[in-house]
Amino acid sequence: MEHKEVIVHLIGEITNYIMEQCPSRMVISLHNEADGLHLSVMDDIHRNDSELKRMEHDLNPKVRPELSEYYGTMAGTDAISAARLNLIGWQIKHGYVSRTTEGTKVDLWIGSDRFDSKKFTIKE
Amino acid sequence: MNNRNPLFIVSLIIVCILFVLAFTTEPPLDVLSGYYNILTHHGRLISDFSSIGGVGAVLLNVSIMGFLGLLIIQLAGVSLSGPTFASIMTIIGFSFFGKTPVNTAPIVFGVYLAAKLAGKSFKNYLIIALFGTAFGPITSYVANIPGLHPLVAILLGLLLGVIVGVLLPSLAIAMLRLHEGYNLYNVGFSCGFLGIFIASLFTAVGMELSIQVEWNTTFSLILTAIIPVVSLTLIIVGISLDGIKKSIAGLRAIQKLSGRLPADFTDLVSPGAALLNAGLLGLAGSIYVMSIGAVFSGPVIGALFTIIGFGTFGKHLKNVWPVVLGVLTATLISGKSPTAPGPLLALLFGTSLAPIAGEFGIVPGLLAGILHLVLVERTVIWHGGLVLYNNGFSGGLVATFIFAVSEWIKANKKKR
Repeated sequence: MEHKEVIVHLIGEITNYIMEQCPSRMVISLHNEADGLHLSVMDDIHRNDSELKRMEHDLNPKVRPELSEYYGTMAGTDAISAARLNLIGWQIKHGYVSRTTEGTKVDLWIGSDRFDSKKFTIKE
Repeated sequence: MNNRNPLFIVSLIIVCILFVLAFTTEPPLDVLSGYYNILTHHGRLISDFSSIGGVGAVLLNVSIMGFLGLLIIQLAGVSLSGPTFASIMTIIGFSFFGKTPVNTAPIVFGVYLAAKLAGKSFKNYLIIALFGTAFGPITSYVANIPGLHPLVAILLGLLLGVIVGVLLPSLAIAMLRLHEGYNLYNVGFSCGFLGIFIASLFTAVGMELSIQVEWNTTFSLILTAIIPVVSLTLIIVGISLDGIKKSIAGLRAIQKLSGRLPADFTDLVSPGAALLNAGLLGLAGSIYVMSIGAVFSGPVIGALFTIIGFGTFGKHLKNVWPVVLGVLTATLISGKSPTAPGPLLALLFGTSLAPIAGEFGIVPGLLAGILHLVLVERTVIWHGGLVLYNNGFSGGLVATFIFAVSEWIKANKKKR
């Protein structure tokens, strides 16, 4: 998929997931650089440890190139059915889920083979 | 990559056993001459290779195709998992009626070209390439056009196969969005769609595309035993991988999943539980075929192999039975025989719609089964039998219909 298309699809799927619990606040932050990008989504829903763990597990599946470019294209296309984080997981470098004082933060890192999130010019 | 992968090892063992069986059933020369008949046949639906080439020849074709499929996966550098296991079992199954190394190679090459054109690795389109072999008959049908010089016909057939392969990834990706993963045979849906255009073109230039059924009705002990033996093997391997307790727990976990694409049971639960599930589905299918008194013909074995394959990638006993019951109900109401080729294949392949029952429940699953039987005998005429996954095409149409209506209902319920 093209760069823009990937971002739109990923935002669609992660937003679908976040909106399932009807947050009163959601912030989407995108930091786009030449070799990679950082997508951060924050909401005001307090999730328990097991849900955070499950989210992180789904966002970091085994590397599956045979699935990412085919079934992965379904990410963000169905806004009515339940969201599926594994569709995102196949297309990103890694994803982190953390608890904030207000709710939950999801960090998605996407980039090429040369991509190194530590070299980002803007700090998290 | 796959040296210690249980799915790869069990697939390779199945392929090797089928190869050995090919030469133990009939004299080698008979097998080879029968295989020549298979390779030169058009392979359109429904061409039972066990009748066209004999039991030995069909087993040789099946084992060669299975081996080539595993080789492609290995060369692509992909570890065998639910979807790739499903594709190998589907290739093995359809090599009983339509797929040969000669008619499928151009399609795989075409998908490879599409990957290169898109600047991607072949492994990104591997699944489309493997399932895309459903278009095999298009190559062999064109290669057998009467009135053309044989060399010209063969070259035309190969070229058309490559063109179809190049077109497939774009269609397969787009068609996924129509049913959003509720039809497990998505490449079949895509092939059927493209097949309508090609069949229309063929008939426009006066080519003959009437449907003929070549169906083996002779009992063969080897053909009857293949699926039950493979199923039992998978059950034993599955249990031995995980142990009895963990296998049963895993099997229960699988029954709770909707099966909507892409549901890789080997990843979501475990390879052992997935193989156990696959074996149980194969056994259940075999019991059904035996109980209605149907013969294990090439297409029936093909359908059962496909069910086994998708036992690791979307199908389980709980999401399959409503669709099966729907097809059976429609068969009996319409006065058709459950052992007739159309209804029997519709029942076995209709399990492509299992995710509808898994996600929306029993009644939509039943409805999907009924609609599938009604539609599937019509869709084969649209593409002239050039696409082997006719049930995948019909399943895609049914899944799109049910998905669209259910999404509309859900969306408007939420608004209220």
